[in-house]
This record gives sequence, structure tokens and C-alpha cells, in this order.
Amino acid sequence: MRSFEEFEHYYNQTLFREMELLDARRKKTQKRLWSIIALTALGMAISILLAAFVIDPARDLHFLLIAVVPLLVLMAGVIAWSTWGRDKNFIADFKREVIEKIIHFISPELSYQPTNFIGVDSFERSRLFLTNIDRYHGDDYVFGKIDKTQFWFSEIKAEYRTTGSKGETHWQILFKGLFSVADFNKHFEGTTVVLPNRLGNSAIAKVLQKANLARREKLVQLEDPEFNKYFVVYGDDQVVSRYVLSTSLMQRLVDFRKKSDKPIYVSFVNSFMYLAIEYTKDLFEPSMFRSLTKFDTVKPYFEEIRLATGIVEDLNLNTRIWTKQ
Amino acid sequence: MLWIFITLGVLILFTMVAYNRFIRLRNQADQAFSTIDVMAKKRYDLIPNLVAAVEKYMQHERGTLIEITEMRAKAMQGNLSPNDRVDLENKITRTLGNIQVAVENYPELKASENFQQLQGSLNEVEEQLSAARRAYNASVTEYNNSVQLFPSNVFAMVFNFRSRKWLETPEEERKNVDVKKLFNS
Repeated sequence: MRSFEEFEHYYNQTLFREMELLDARRKKTQKRLWSIIALTALGMAISILLAAFVIDPARDLHFLLIAVVPLLVLMAGVIAWSTWGRDKNFIADFKREVIEKIIHFISPELSYQPTNFIGVDSFERSRLFLTNIDRYHGDDYVFGKIDKTQFWFSEIKAEYRTTGSKGETHWQILFKGLFSVADFNKHFEGTTVVLPNRLGNSAIAKVLQKANLARREKLVQLEDPEFNKYFVVYGDDQVVSRYVLSTSLMQRLVDFRKKSDKPIYVSFVNSFMYLAIEYTKDLFEPSMFRSLTKFDTVKPYFEEIRLATGIVEDLNLNTRIWTKQ
Repeated sequence: MLWIFITLGVLILFTMVAYNRFIRLRNQADQAFSTIDVMAKKRYDLIPNLVAAVEKYMQHERGTLIEITEMRAKAMQGNLSPNDRVDLENKITRTLGNIQVAVENYPELKASENFQQLQGSLNEVEEQLSAARRAYNASVTEYNNSVQLFPSNVFAMVFNFRSRKWLETPEEERKNVDVKKLFNS
């Protein structure tokens, strides 16, 4: 896996030039945006003043002028912004020039499709989130093989609908963040789900966790106290769950949880591993209002991609000492 | 008078619930133990294949190969006490580990597809065996907690449910073995 210093070197040598070009475009667009806003505001102010003081208040048109003319100016401003005020290809170009390059820098074996994402059927197959999904989308699909392990990940946002007391619709986020699927290194059947432990390990928490009616899988009580501090495990076979979650994998999951410093959800279903990392922000997107030529702006992109691609190595999925090759 | 009946009823109900819980936990532990048995049998099935695959190459380790074949035969007879059985299984684990380490001296054998597949199966069985042991220990912990913790320990005493022993994982022993010494003796 590429180190941080290597990336800094790569950034200075190669990436910086692309970033400068992109940043020039960003500044230009930003300038245009500000001028459109300023001109629109000015136009609206003038038209209001004209309507209020210059035009004779006794006439019937008075009210109409106050209300309609500024609105027309505002509309003109919006049209101006959408036709020449914004850089329509900026995000796509940023992803091609920056994100794709960082991904290939980390591993040339990986492919990147900025507008694609992991399908909802894979997401549901993971059995991580059992609520019915009403809206599902994503982007930044990365896939490929690291050594012997095939894997995929993308950004995902899954939502469900609720109805308020007055019949209005609310959208609730079920999951938002990185979702990845990897070919697991052992053969196994059935499901083992590892969820963040939100209740702790008291006797009452154990009773509540055991009585989880939403899940058909049963609580699996493992012997590693540090692992139990972070996670709670459900599985449909006590032995298979322990076969999958070997003592070393438990340790590696704890380390990965500490490294990512975010809630993580992992499941093992029919020889595949699913791993979801919760994020509140949008991933791999450029900001119009932050300089791209500063290393601090690029750093998080590298860190996030490295964390996602590091799953294979961190969880030791390339160790193929069992019958699965 | 009514109060006496109510108290008696509640007491009987409690006893029933507690008794059924002990039985359930004990069955769970028994079931977990039988899974270990299944995995152990899977391992016995692999031993002759392993011996057949390596004996052509490993002339120096003949003694070890005979030893593991004998251990397998002994374990399969099935008339051992639980403690002896555990000891024997641990010894099999150790010896199998040693054979796999000794293979390092025979690059040709190590590279053969047949052996690699066999080694994969053996690693798989070992890991499944260890998973079954851990599952057994977890169910014994749950059972023992009921036997020892108040108030259920009162019922445990009445019905004579006793604590059970954990199985110790032999992994630590495997790590500390001196392979050379074992094969030269």
C-alpha cells in the first residue's frame, strides 16, 4: 500500500499541475458566480427603487412593477447562471483528473467509473440494514483485483420514507457512506453480521441484543472483550460465525475500526464479505469554495480512497491458505 | 389460604422455567460438543490422504507418519475417556502442524498441486475445529454462569447441575514445539 510520503511526492511531481489548471477554472467560475449575484442584486435594487420613487404611485401599475420587475431580474440572473455562469464539466473533470489518478496511484489494477455504483441487490444481500429501501443512489464506483482478491466499492445513499402526522413525506437516511464487497478467503455458507455495539456490554444490553426480533440470525457471543466493546455479532450458525471470525480477524476488525474512526458494519454472506463505513459528508466531490492547490484539500481524498482499498490488506483477505483460491 | 396457593404457584412456575433453562443450556453445550466431533472426524478422513501424499518424499520422518496413523486409529476406536480424547486430539493437531512444517524441506512436494490442495483442506479443518471449540466454550460459559450465579444457582444445586470444564485451545503448544528435536528423536 502506498504511504503518505509517497503520495505527497506524487502530488508535487504530477498531480499539482492538473490541480492548478482545475483551480484556475474554479476561480474563474467563482468570479462569474459572484458577478452574476452582484449584478442580479443590483438590478433588483434599482428596479425596486425605480418602482417606489420614480414611477407615479397613483397609477395601478405601481404594485405590479414592485413585484414583477425584480422577479424578472432574478429570473434573468438564474438563466445567466445556468447558461454561462457555471462550469458544467467541472465535477466530471475533477473526478477524471484527480480522483481517478489517485486511485491508479494507489493501485493500477483498479478501475473507476465516476457515475456508476454498487446495485441495490448487493446492498440488500449484505443483510446489514433490514429496513425496506425506498430511494437508493450513489456514485464513484471502483472495482478490481488486489493480488488474489476481487473487490468493489462505491459511495451509497440508501433512504426510506416515513409519513408525518399531517400525511407529509419525510426521507430518512438508512445508510450513507462507503459500501464495499469483497471475495472472502474462506468458503462458508450462511450469514454472519457484525454491527456497531451501541448498547454496551451490560447484562441489560445483552438481554436486549438477544431479543432482536428484526433479525432471524441469533446473537453470537465472542470471547474478545475489546472486539465486544465495538461490535455485536449475529449469525445463523454459531460455529460458522466463529469459523469466519477467527481470533486474528477479530483483532484486525478492531484495528480497522480504530483506524477509520467511524461506525463500521461488516457482514459475511455465502463466501462474500460486505463492509460499510458511515460518512456524514459526500465523498470524492470537489468544493467550489476551497482552493485545490493546497495539499490539505487533496489529503482527505487520498486518505478515504486508501482506507477503502486498504480493506483487502488490513483484513488479510489475500491470505489463501484454505481451499478457496 | 389463597396467598399460600399463589406463592406455591409462583414458586412452581419459577422452578419450571429455571429447570427448562438448564436443560436447554446443557443441550446446547452437548450439541456444540458433537460439532467438535464432526470436525474431528473430518480431520481423521484427511490423515490417510496426507500420509499417502507425503510418504514418498519424507523418508526421514517415517516415524512421525506411523505415529499419526496410529493416533488416528486410536481416536477412531472411540473408547477413550473425554480427557484422554482431548489430549489425543491436541497431539494430533501438534503432529499435523509439525508435518506441515517439515514439508518446507521438500520443495518439490510443497509445490505439488495435490499437496497444496490437501494443505488447504487441512488448514480449513483446523480452523473449523478451532471454531467448534470456541463455540463449545461459549456455550459452556453460558451454562456455567447459570449454574454459579444467584439466584439460578439455588435451582442448580437442587437439581444437581454441575459446572463444566472448558476446552483449552492447543495453539500455544503448537507454537513452542521444537520441530528438529521431534523428528530426530
